[in-house]
Amino acid sequence: MSKRVFITGIGLISAIGNNATETRDNLKRGQTGIQKAKLLKSRYVEIFPFGEVPHTTEYLKEKAGISDEKGISRTEVLALLAFQQAIKDAVLSNEDIATYDTALLSASTVGGMSMTDQLYEDAKKIGEPSDYLSSYNIGEHTNNLIKRFGIKGVSATFNTACSSSANAIMFGAKMIKSGRCKRAIAGGADALAKFTVNGFNALQILSAKPCMPFDINRTGLTLGEGAAYLVLESEESVGNKKIYGEVSGYGNANDAFHPSSISEEAIGIIASIKGALEVADIQPGEIDYINTHGTGTENNDITEQTGMNKIFGKIPPFQSTKTYTGHTLAAAGAIEAVFSLLAMENNELYPSLNCENPMDDYNVVPNKNYEPRHEIKHVLSNSFGFGGNCSSLIFSKV
Amino acid sequence: MFIKDMSCISTQETYNNVIFENGVKVFDAAKLWAIEPEYKCIIPFKLLRRMSKLVRMSVGAGLPLIEKHKGIDGIIMASSYGSVKRSLRFLNQIIEYDEGTLTPTDFVQSTPNCVAGVLALMGKITGYNTTHVNQGLSFESCLLDAMMLLEEGKVNRLLLGGGEELSEENYNIDEQRGIFKEEAISTSELLQSTSKGTLPGEGVAMFVIDAMKNADSLAEIVDVDMISHVTKEEVFEKTKHFLAKNGLAPDDIDTVFMGRNGDIRTDFYYDYLQTELFNQQNIYVYKALTGEYYTASAIAVWLAAKLLSEIALPQECSWKQTRRLSKNILLYNNCEGTQHGFILMRKA
Amino acid sequence: MANEELILKLKTQIIEYLNLMEIEPEDIVNDAPLFGPDSDIELDSIDAIELSVLMEREYGIKITDPKKGRKVMTSIDKMVEYILENGKG
Repeated sequence: MSKRVFITGIGLISAIGNNATETRDNLKRGQTGIQKAKLLKSRYVEIFPFGEVPHTTEYLKEKAGISDEKGISRTEVLALLAFQQAIKDAVLSNEDIATYDTALLSASTVGGMSMTDQLYEDAKKIGEPSDYLSSYNIGEHTNNLIKRFGIKGVSATFNTACSSSANAIMFGAKMIKSGRCKRAIAGGADALAKFTVNGFNALQILSAKPCMPFDINRTGLTLGEGAAYLVLESEESVGNKKIYGEVSGYGNANDAFHPSSISEEAIGIIASIKGALEVADIQPGEIDYINTHGTGTENNDITEQTGMNKIFGKIPPFQSTKTYTGHTLAAAGAIEAVFSLLAMENNELYPSLNCENPMDDYNVVPNKNYEPRHEIKHVLSNSFGFGGNCSSLIFSKV
Repeated sequence: MFIKDMSCISTQETYNNVIFENGVKVFDAAKLWAIEPEYKCIIPFKLLRRMSKLVRMSVGAGLPLIEKHKGIDGIIMASSYGSVKRSLRFLNQIIEYDEGTLTPTDFVQSTPNCVAGVLALMGKITGYNTTHVNQGLSFESCLLDAMMLLEEGKVNRLLLGGGEELSEENYNIDEQRGIFKEEAISTSELLQSTSKGTLPGEGVAMFVIDAMKNADSLAEIVDVDMISHVTKEEVFEKTKHFLAKNGLAPDDIDTVFMGRNGDIRTDFYYDYLQTELFNQQNIYVYKALTGEYYTASAIAVWLAAKLLSEIALPQECSWKQTRRLSKNILLYNNCEGTQHGFILMRKA
Repeated sequence: MANEELILKLKTQIIEYLNLMEIEPEDIVNDAPLFGPDSDIELDSIDAIELSVLMEREYGIKITDPKKGRKVMTSIDKMVEYILENGKG
């Protein structure tokens, strides 16, 4: 008695746009949002480029209509902006949202810890407690969205590193498929933070140049920030709404090899893609476009190509869009889901950036130019995180 | 879904079920610390050396279960704070070395999904793996995740767990938020207290869950639900709705586990439900044993499963006793009066 | 600093940085491999990064390329040699 899961609304904010329209324009033009960060306070802005949303937190709060509220972390305001867009896009009323039948699934890795300096002082009880005391916890942004919008259904917050919001979307799809809710708003948010920047730098995987996914000379990843939400609805609640597509497949597996790298055999990657194809009940050959995880690290890109080669043989058009936004961590799954849906809705492929010397292990090259007439019936989006967490989503045209 | 086996490290002697012989420990302290087992025999030192407290408690409880029960298809964990001490130790490095060259282990260990990752690595479990971090509803959404996965019919056995570690640092943050008692109080008096605040604790409970019942199933977890930011009347309505969804009226419930924690600002939710819906039922409590933390409902499930497998719980857990036998158990917990979780369990 | 003293100091620091529980300095053989399956203590890539932080903080030696780090830090003897050549004490 499995119900179909339709996507009726999208909302996002990242380094390449404050909404879906701006985002698509920049994708079509091959215009990256990665550059020297102007707002992030870290000595590493002199060394590494970032995919920073080019607006102060105060400006973002104003856009979200919450200028006067205190103790709101940057992660939370990014989430709020994307959420507001998504529910407006899906034409959801207050009544639609404030029912037992609407679930909220979100994700973040840094949460309010983006307020790194305040956290340090509050944890050591230095000075007066800051306004951010309640914001540090990762689930706090979810809890506040529930409070703001009166959401009465199930809620969950995921942290599986880089695959977090893909897992949130998967959970939302399962809630609808199993008849547990009619509607699920799913996605995630992460703001750039000194904490994260230093963590990735300590692992020596940040690139001093904008990331170069699938390039032989790639030197690591570029961090970014952003948020995105999808509104998922069941057949009975969709009515005549515009539908971007359906969540037709999802897979989740663990590579079980190393805390921060994937096995050479790409075990977890293969299992998560296969899982998604199985749920979607389609053959590998039916995938028309792959939005890869493609971070630009040595390990990810080779193992991802190994995995794709094993499953597809002839790998369909693929690319990494992290060259546009940077790696937005927990938000990546949802942001890249939106990119996948935009590509599918418009039957187009976007230019790949920063790949002058493609890897030659499997003789495949990321899609080079903007292709305005590439029919996409099924698109695969991958997200692979620390801790071996591998997740894959398939979206299909309806 | 059915609990096949379980393991619990807590502020009580739960690890080898010693609590049922030796009784409950009473604490006169501001912080309740877990009683940890000797890990040397459980965890190879090469891995133990890196582990945060949360990770070693979770592995200490979870690894023996993985080794004993073959065929675990996936791991779902719940922890809202993760290895918070390591996060804050990494943060200290950032500040104290002014973002200079830093050691990565603390960063890698600090992420809440580290537990599920380490267990997968050690048990070579390549199936479904995820971590829930939704504060006081983390364990509830973990259970729901498991239910939906098992219903899909492709996997049969999962390892689930919920845990938190306590550290000076997250204590400081929550203390400044006004979560804890300002006055000194013994755990033996906590739940009768009429002042603000509660006491912090820590612990981990891990479960091997099967899709199908078998001869050694300890208990069944029937359903899970939740709601946030609502009044006591709305909690009342939601409770009835939850039970009705499962074909039950309030009177079909014999026993209710309540997450009372001695905080006068939020215990009224429990009072209201007890008066309005459950005045003929057995009521059990547990936070005087475990302290308060985001995934404490995992220990409530551990206790309820013991009860359903006919093990008498310590006196200190009994809030109200009737003649009714425990067959259908509702577990209701709220976190800071804002997040409300419901778990329905019954005899296997 | 005399070699013996430096060897002991380095071993103590390694034990502390990597939290090598139950291991004493005398348990670490000077010329035995530190990394990989042939090693008694089997350090891995994350340990390599930790050790490069140790080299910087304790001896002022910056190792920016992790691959170079692995070559230099194959054993206690090799590390001591590198410190004597490049370190500030």
